[in-house]
Amino acid sequence: MFNYYLKLAFNSFKRNPILTGLMIAAIALGIGASMTTITVNYLMSGDPIPEKSSQLFHVQVDSWDPNTGFNDEPNTPPNQLTWTEATNLMAAKKDFRQTAMAKSGAIIQPDNPDINPFEASIRLAFSDFFPMFSVPFQYGNGWDQKADEDRQMVVVLSKETNDKVFGGENSVGKNIVIFGKSFRVIGVLDAWQPLPKFYDVNNGAFDDPEALFMPFYLKQELELPNWGNTNCWKSPEGEGFQAFLQSECINFQMWVELETEQDKQTYLTFLNNYVNDQKELGRFPRPLNNRLLNVMQWMHDQEVVADDAQIMMWLSFMFLVVCLLNTIGLQLAKFSAKSAEIGLRRAVGATKQDLFLQYTVETGAVGLAGGAMGLLLALLGLVGIRHLYGDELNDLATLDSTMIATALLLSLFASVCAGLYPTWRACNIAPASQLKSQ
Amino acid sequence: MLTMTDIKKVYRTDSIETHALRDFNLQVNEGDFVAVTGPSGSGKTTFLNIAGLLETFEEGRFELDGVDISHQNDASRSRLRNQKIGFIFQSFNLIPDLNLFDNVDVPLRYRGFNRQERKKRIENSLEMVGLAKRMKHLPAQLSGGQQQRVAIARALAGEPRFLLADEPTGNLDSNMAQSVMSLLKDINANGTTIIMVTHDAGLATQATRNIHVRDGKVSEMNESLSAKVDMPNAVATDNGPAVALVK
Amino acid sequence: MNEQKERSFFAENWEVGPILRALLRNKVGAILIALQIAFTMTIVVNAIYIIHERSEKMKRPSGIDEANSFYLSSVGFTNDFNTLVTTKKDLNLIRSLEGVVDAIQINAVPMSNSGWSMGLQTQPGAEFDGTGSAVYMVDEHALNTLDVALVAGENFRATDIQTRVASQNHWPDKVIITLAMANRLFPDDGLGALGKTVYINDIEPMIITGIIDKLQAPWVGWDNVENVMLTPEIRDAETSRYFIRTKPGQRDRIMSEVESLLAKSNTGRILRDMRSIDETRVRAYRDNSAMIRILVTVMVILVIVTGLGIVGLASFSVNQRKKQIGTRRALGASQQAIVRYFMLENLLISTVGVVLGAMLTVGLNIVLVDAFSLDPITWYYIPLGMLALWVVGQLAVYGPAKKAANIPPALATRSA
Repeated sequence: MFNYYLKLAFNSFKRNPILTGLMIAAIALGIGASMTTITVNYLMSGDPIPEKSSQLFHVQVDSWDPNTGFNDEPNTPPNQLTWTEATNLMAAKKDFRQTAMAKSGAIIQPDNPDINPFEASIRLAFSDFFPMFSVPFQYGNGWDQKADEDRQMVVVLSKETNDKVFGGENSVGKNIVIFGKSFRVIGVLDAWQPLPKFYDVNNGAFDDPEALFMPFYLKQELELPNWGNTNCWKSPEGEGFQAFLQSECINFQMWVELETEQDKQTYLTFLNNYVNDQKELGRFPRPLNNRLLNVMQWMHDQEVVADDAQIMMWLSFMFLVVCLLNTIGLQLAKFSAKSAEIGLRRAVGATKQDLFLQYTVETGAVGLAGGAMGLLLALLGLVGIRHLYGDELNDLATLDSTMIATALLLSLFASVCAGLYPTWRACNIAPASQLKSQ
Repeated sequence: MLTMTDIKKVYRTDSIETHALRDFNLQVNEGDFVAVTGPSGSGKTTFLNIAGLLETFEEGRFELDGVDISHQNDASRSRLRNQKIGFIFQSFNLIPDLNLFDNVDVPLRYRGFNRQERKKRIENSLEMVGLAKRMKHLPAQLSGGQQQRVAIARALAGEPRFLLADEPTGNLDSNMAQSVMSLLKDINANGTTIIMVTHDAGLATQATRNIHVRDGKVSEMNESLSAKVDMPNAVATDNGPAVALVK
Repeated sequence: MNEQKERSFFAENWEVGPILRALLRNKVGAILIALQIAFTMTIVVNAIYIIHERSEKMKRPSGIDEANSFYLSSVGFTNDFNTLVTTKKDLNLIRSLEGVVDAIQINAVPMSNSGWSMGLQTQPGAEFDGTGSAVYMVDEHALNTLDVALVAGENFRATDIQTRVASQNHWPDKVIITLAMANRLFPDDGLGALGKTVYINDIEPMIITGIIDKLQAPWVGWDNVENVMLTPEIRDAETSRYFIRTKPGQRDRIMSEVESLLAKSNTGRILRDMRSIDETRVRAYRDNSAMIRILVTVMVILVIVTGLGIVGLASFSVNQRKKQIGTRRALGASQQAIVRYFMLENLLISTVGVVLGAMLTVGLNIVLVDAFSLDPITWYYIPLGMLALWVVGQLAVYGPAKKAANIPPALATRSA
């Protein structure tokens, strides 16, 4: 019977090729537009580290100006930490894993004279950074706690950096000149591209991870420059690099890994106590306002998903609605032309269910065809978006299997919805009504 | 009144030429009630279409009410149809989405009458066919005979000089057919010229003049006597349908 | 009864009443078209409004000679690298090139989206709020290089230029600000700001020695993008950025010349980020231009879809009403009257659609304003949108209406 319905549907398409084409095109365009924007939003709002995103917390303490809050919204603590807080909280070691971080950059001078010196970004972090964020290694490992404390001149290279400087071979144990100093390579990362780059969204939430990773205290030791946002509510007291580190300027991030809700509460209490202690020293002039947000909360707080992407998604949903209204109208028209045929089928004994099934198969087939074409259009749309936004959105404009399945389901759902009312109307044509000749 | 001289009408498809009318000659005088009969394919509908200005013709001369039709363009033929001709169709051709009032209103709109004039004419003509009280009903809510009477009301509302009827009773049972027929005779008695195409010889005898069409040509028969038909007079009364319907 | 009553083409020939009554009996089809028109209008009007907003933003001049300017950075990496010496040598070299108008060292570049900002305030003390301003650290060649004009006061002198070292906190005692910044600081009399003292770092005084007409901060998305100050400083840090203005048409040649010249003159540094201002502008507004292109595409496709939908449904209803149309023709309707019938029918449906659309448009705009802090829509977009959708509907239905008008009147006498 199903095959018979498919055949009938196919006949119907052949009889009304333009109308059917219009319906398929309408669904395809609606699905194509929606899927393109859904994909971008889906990837932008994706969980970069699903296995532990609810256990990783971004640390915020309100060390800001007594007269004005950090931003326009009241009660928002600053988005980064001062050097003082970063180092004090790290020293307290109150949790399972923790890392303070900073972004910097320096020039790499490869030994190979054929490779020109080039500037590379640096992530300064603690040894926990790698296990906390499940960072994959191709060669070697991260450094250990002792390297943190001893401020050892060790470095972990990104895969790209290793490819560039060492031609992709195992460079663990080799030396590399960075910032005019010799560093020992102790690890090389495998391809790693968290989307969004959750651990530091200040400088482009969808940027690539840094080229080099090295112990945090080298910032102070080597006086590495500040990259990324630096915000100060009052200027450093005194001149020079060390004065900057001691100032109220924020340029540092910190993450802690807390496994249970109770761990989190304990850590928050610790933070509050810490801030109260600092208040006694005359710092932290604002009311107590410390926050621990997990990865997804932090992404939401930082509005990682671009407004434009969301606007486009909502507009494209409305676009889909228009396309569906279009399809409903055309389907209705198509079925209304068939009222005589339907009356006849009813007269020769087809039940309402039979007809319902027949026309649902027909609308479903239109929907699937539209969905498949819509998927192609979405691919095209994503190519277009990559083209328009350049490298910025490169990784955000690819279809994965989840999205493909979503697209097909959405189109099937949409077209059956669009076919439901016309089908229902068609099935309710009385058997006798159409038999009288006009 | 209506004069057709040597009218020729050819239907062409890619390969076939059909001579629907050839050397068709006819003179209809004011006040005539002409019944046109003939076997199917004889050209009677083509004649009706040309007489009703629905179709053009290749050769010959056609004068309607003193106007030479051969030189009229589509717009002026539409205007002539609208002003001089009323149509009654076999399948009534009422517009299903419009109520009786709006259906009768259709030709009056094109005529350009103002609102009061249209209202007066619609009410009068629906009154005449005995359906004034059902003005707000849709065609589907009426019986076939009633629908045809609405169509007659529509044809008469513009007070045309000619009434063209195409198998007006073809879709009706005999009782209804007879009542429609007597309505037509009354209309003719009031001075409207009627040309009626029918295949029903019995009906044809009720006209004042019979024309037989065969192979696209006229072969006129004798005038039939229609004076002595003893059907009730189809003048409207306030009590309901003017025509007695047996149902 | 026989004489013709007066004809009034306008009031009487339009069959508004009967069309409406007929439509009410076939609500669903009409409602679907009306809804399509309403949603289309909602999307199109809001999209056009967003496009307008974005393109206005993109049109803002940066104040610099965009077509003939570029910049690049020199980053020293050898231990004996001397930034100050190199910078002075580099600038002399660049300024002496044929085709170069002028060149400076600068810490940031308009529209590059990265730079420095400081607060200036008219009264000293931490309790007073400062007005945020972008800082460009430049020498006395800046006005010429950046192509900005003084509206009051004077340029820096060579003797004003101080050396700024890394992590330095104090500031020079002279500053040049934009007129926009002056108006912000002294709302009553912007030009009167000349010679006044303002405070940086809460308490450090600076005298406004010049006011320039227009110069944008590096961040195009910043609300106060015209708040800018110039300070007379030369930076002694590893990175030294040069901004170069060339004579018209010379930029591309100078760019490659400068790059090879600097690379040869000192091998203890790398050169990076060489970019023309034109390209910088493209990058700065890439999101906006992408959004505009996407919205335009969506709008065009949407209008086509809606238009085709109307064409499809109208053709269909013409097909369904063939007999009716033939009958109307037989009853005296001219071809024009048939066209008019369908156009009018569409106009009535569209009217419902655009009225609904007007409400939805405002509704969506309120949501967008609320959720994405867009500006509220300007009122006249609504009637223009309504008009546009009316036109789209009329254009779409014209074809099918024309087809309907060609249905022969003889169809009326054809049985079944």
